[in-house]
Amino acid sequence: MLTPGAYEDRRSLQLRLTGLRIGLLTVFVLIAGAFWVLQVLQYTEYRDRAEQNHTRTIPLLAPRGVLFDRHGDVLVQNRRSFRIAIVREQTADIDDTIRHLAGVTGTAESDIQAIMTRRRGDPLFRPIAVIDHATDAQVAAVIAQGLELPGVVVDQIPMRSYPGEGAHLFGYVGEVQQAQLYRPEFAGLQPGAIVGQAGLEQVYNAPLMGNDGNRFVIVDSRGREIDELERQDPVDGQRVKLTIDRDMQRALEDAFRADGFDGAAAFLDPRSGEVLALTSLPAYDPNDFAVGISSATWSALNKDPLRPLGNRLIQGLYSPGSTFKIVMAITALEEGIITPDTVIGCRGSGVFYGRSFKCWNTSGHGPMTLRHAIEQSCNVFFYTLGERLNARFGDRSIDAINKWAAKLGLVGKTGIDLPQENPSLVPSTEWKLRERGERWYPGETISVAIGQGAVSVSPMAMATMMATVANGGTLQTPHLLKAIDRGHGWEPQAPPAPRSVFQMDPSHLAAVRDGLWMAVNTPLGTATRRGKIDGKDVAGKTGTAQVISNDNKAAAQAAARSAGKDPAIYNDHGWFVFFAPRDNPEVAGVVFTEHSEHGYLSAPIAKHVMETYFAKKEGRPLPVYKSSRTPRTPVAPPRPAIGGTSGIGGTR
Amino acid sequence: MIVDRRLLPHLDWPLLGAIVTLTLIGLATIYSVTWNIQLDQPGTEFWRQAYAVPVGLGALLVCLLVDYRTLAQKSPLIFAGLLLALLAVLSFGVVAKGARRWIDLGFGSLQPSEFARLALALVLAMLYGDGRRSARSLGELVFGGLVLALPVSLIFLQPDLGTAITLVPVYAGIAYMAGLRLRWVAGALLILALLSPVVWNFGLQDYQKGRVLTFLNPYKDRQGAGYQQIQARVTVGSGGLLGKGFRQGTQGAYRFLPEGHNDFVFAVFAEEHGFVGVVVALALYLFVIWRSLEAAKLAKDRVGAFLVVGLVSWFSFQVVYNITMQAGLAPVKGLTLPLMSYGGSSLVATLAGFGLILNVRMRRFTN
Repeated sequence: MLTPGAYEDRRSLQLRLTGLRIGLLTVFVLIAGAFWVLQVLQYTEYRDRAEQNHTRTIPLLAPRGVLFDRHGDVLVQNRRSFRIAIVREQTADIDDTIRHLAGVTGTAESDIQAIMTRRRGDPLFRPIAVIDHATDAQVAAVIAQGLELPGVVVDQIPMRSYPGEGAHLFGYVGEVQQAQLYRPEFAGLQPGAIVGQAGLEQVYNAPLMGNDGNRFVIVDSRGREIDELERQDPVDGQRVKLTIDRDMQRALEDAFRADGFDGAAAFLDPRSGEVLALTSLPAYDPNDFAVGISSATWSALNKDPLRPLGNRLIQGLYSPGSTFKIVMAITALEEGIITPDTVIGCRGSGVFYGRSFKCWNTSGHGPMTLRHAIEQSCNVFFYTLGERLNARFGDRSIDAINKWAAKLGLVGKTGIDLPQENPSLVPSTEWKLRERGERWYPGETISVAIGQGAVSVSPMAMATMMATVANGGTLQTPHLLKAIDRGHGWEPQAPPAPRSVFQMDPSHLAAVRDGLWMAVNTPLGTATRRGKIDGKDVAGKTGTAQVISNDNKAAAQAAARSAGKDPAIYNDHGWFVFFAPRDNPEVAGVVFTEHSEHGYLSAPIAKHVMETYFAKKEGRPLPVYKSSRTPRTPVAPPRPAIGGTSGIGGTR
Repeated sequence: MIVDRRLLPHLDWPLLGAIVTLTLIGLATIYSVTWNIQLDQPGTEFWRQAYAVPVGLGALLVCLLVDYRTLAQKSPLIFAGLLLALLAVLSFGVVAKGARRWIDLGFGSLQPSEFARLALALVLAMLYGDGRRSARSLGELVFGGLVLALPVSLIFLQPDLGTAITLVPVYAGIAYMAGLRLRWVAGALLILALLSPVVWNFGLQDYQKGRVLTFLNPYKDRQGAGYQQIQARVTVGSGGLLGKGFRQGTQGAYRFLPEGHNDFVFAVFAEEHGFVGVVVALALYLFVIWRSLEAAKLAKDRVGAFLVVGLVSWFSFQVVYNITMQAGLAPVKGLTLPLMSYGGSSLVATLAGFGLILNVRMRRFTN
C-alpha cells in the first residue's frame, strides 16, 4: 500500500522526530543545569533560609531567686503571670492586629504602639510583650479571638511578688534599659530581660537572676509548634537569705503607718552589723514595677514632692541635732577634756565668743555631770565641752570632733549593701577650707557641739553610731546578706570587715551608756516612758532636725496657715537613736520621723520594734502597736525632703 | 478485544517500567510531604493517590488492549462524547475553588478535561494521518485548529486556563509531524510578539498580569504571589547535592511551600533527595519521552506516529513547564507534574495515554 511519496514522507517524519528529540534533550540538560546552580552552587544560602523558616528559639524565663528572712521565712517570691505578646513575623497587618488587640483587652492602642516602636529593632520572630500582667479576662478574650489575632501569643512567665513592706529594702525589677545593655554586669542579656533596678534586687541581681533557658523548636508556616529539637532548662535564681527579721520589718512599718509619719529607720545587731529591719517612707509598691509600670504611675512617683522613689535612710542627709551630743561626749572623754565626774553648771544660757547661746531649759539645769547632761540633753554642758575643745586644740578642735565622729561612723558612707548611698558629713578644717575657702572659727565648734552647723548625716549613719556605742567601739559595716543557696544548701556569706575598731575606756563607756539609759528611764529623761521597756534597759537619745530656723518658724507657719497649707510642713524632724539592753546590747538603731516636731515621738516606734524583737526571742506573742497619735496625712514639704536641712537654734 | 499473545514480546517493558517507577516516586513523595505528625500517619491525599494507581494501570491496560486503529476510527465519536462531558461539567459540575471542573460520580469525582487530550490526540491523528491530509496547507491547519478550539474553549469557560493550554501542544505536535511549514511557525511567533502588547492590555486579567510581573521579580510581593516562587527555590536549593533524606524535608512538610503534594511535588522530591535525585528523576522523564518517540518512529502508520507525538508533546510540555517552575524559572501556574503530582483523574488519564503509546509500538507488525 506504499505510495510513491511514502518513502519520502517517512524520511521527513524521521527527521522531524529527531529534531523534536534534540530539542527536548537540550531542554532537559538546561533544566539539570538550573538545578545544579540552585542545589550545589547556591546550596548554603538556601539551606540557611530553610533553616530560618522552621526553627525558632523560644526563651524560658528563669524565676528570680526567692528572698528569705534570717529565720527562713519567705520575703519575696515569684508567682505565675500571663503575658500577651506579638510575634510580628506571624501578623498579616500589624496595625490591624494592634487595633484589634487593644479593643479586646481594653488597652490603649497608643501604649501598644509605643512598645512596638521601642522594640522595632528586634528580630521579627521574637515575641514582644505588650501586656505584661494580663488579667484572666484579657487572656480569655485573646484566646477566644485567636483567629482574628494572628501573631498574638499568650505565655506564662514568672513574676516577682513583694510583701506590703520593705519597698526600699527590696527595690524593684524592670526591663533592662538600652543603655544598661552595654554594662559589663548585663553582658549577654537580650533586650527585654528583667533585671534588678533598685534596692537588693539591683545589688544582688547576679545571684538572684539565674539563667534563662531556651527551647529550640520546629514550627510550621503558621508558626505552630511542630516539634521540640532541644531544651535548655532555665536555672532558677539563687535563694538569698537576708539578715532581716520579717516580723520586725512588719512591726516597724505598722508603727510608722499607725502614727502617720514619713521617715526612715534601721535596726542593727550591734555585735555583727546585721540589719534586722529598715525602712524609708513614703515608698512605692514594687509590685507595680514587676508588672511593667505604667507611664502614669511612673510619672506620678517621679513628680511626687514627697519623693517616694528616694531612700531617705541612706540618701537623706539631715542635721543630727541633740543626738550629736553622744559624739561630743565621747570626744571629750577620750581626748581627756573631762572625766565622767567633771561637773559643769548650767544657768539656762551661756556666752561664748561674745554671743549668747541658749539652753532649751531657760531656767537652767544647775551643776551636772556628763550622765545627767545626756539624760536631760543640756545644751550649755555641751557648749562648754566645745569651748574646752577650742582651748585645747585651738583652730583644730573641729578635727578632734571629726576624728571621733568618723570612728563612730558619721563620716562618709556606711557601706551598707544598698545602692546610691550618700556620704554623711561632719566638718573639718580641711573640709571648710576646701568647700568654703575659709578657716574654721571657734564659734562654729559651739554650734557643732549640739549637732548644728554644717553637720549632715544619714539616718543609716546614725544607726551605725549607736551600734558602735553599743558594742564599745567596733564600727561594723551594716549589711543585709546572710547566706546564699546555690543549690546545695545555705552557704553563709562572710560579713564585711568592720570599718574601724577602737577600744573605749570602760569608765567612759559606762558613763555614756548610763546617760543614755537615764534619758529613757528616769523621770527627768528626754524620752522617758516613751521608749522604756520594762526589764530591757533601753538606752537612747532624742534629737530634732530643724526644717527652718526657730526665729523664722512662727512667721512661716502663720504664712502657711493663711495660704491654706498645713503649717506642720515647718515642723522639725524627730530623731530617736537607741540600743538595748544597756549592758550587752543586742539591738541598736535609729528612728527618724519627718515633721514630728519632737524626737520623743520617734521613740514609741523604736520601742514597738524592740518589743517585737524581745517577744520573738523569748517566744512570747508579738505585740500589737497602739498609736498615741491621731494620724495626719503627710504633707508636701516646701523643699525636697531629701538633701539636707539646716538651721541654728536650741534642740533637744 | 482478543489480544494476540504474540503481541506481548513487542510490549515496551522498559518504558512501562520507567512510567511505573515515576508513579511510585510520586506516591512516596506524597507520602512524605503529607505526613501528619499528630496522627503519625500519611495524609488522606496519599491514600487517594494510592487508590488511583491501580485504576490508572487498569485504564492503561484497556487502552493497550484495544487496537489503536479501532480507537482512531471511532475518534469522532469519542471526541463528541468528550465535548458532551465538558458541556455537562459546565452545566452541573461540582464547584470548587471558584471553578467548575469535576463531575460527581457518586463513588468519586471525575475531571473530564484531563481526558480531553486523549480524545483530541486521537481525532487529530486520524484527521492528519489517515485521510492523507497534511498540515501543509493553511486550510488544513485552520481546520485542525478549529477542532482544537472546541475543547479548549469549553475548558477555558470552567475556567481552567492551565488545562486548556495543555491541549495546544497536542495540536502543535501533530501539526508539526504532519508537515507544518516551519516558516509559518516563525511567522506566527513574530505576529504574537507584535501582538503581545495588545494581549497584555486587553487579553489578560489583572491576576494574570500580576503573575507575570511577580515572576519577573518575586521579591516585589514576597508575602503574596511571589511567596511560592521564593519558597520553591528555597525548597529545591536547601536539598543540596544529596538531599535531606526521605521524610526529613522541612519546607514542604511544614507547609512553607504550599501544594507540596501537588504542583510542587518535584520541589519536595528535590529537597529530600537532592541534586542526585533530581538527575535520576530527570533521566527517567527523558527516558520516557525518548522511548515514546521511539514508538512514533517505529509506528506502522502515520496515525500511530501522530497519536504518539501528540501525546508526547503534551507530556513533555507539562513536565518541562512544571519542573522549570520548581526551579523558579517559570511563572507559578496550576500545572501539575504528570505521573508524580497528586490528582487521580490526571494520573488515570496520563496512564491511559501511555497505554495508547505502548499500543502503537506493540502493534507495529500487525495488519
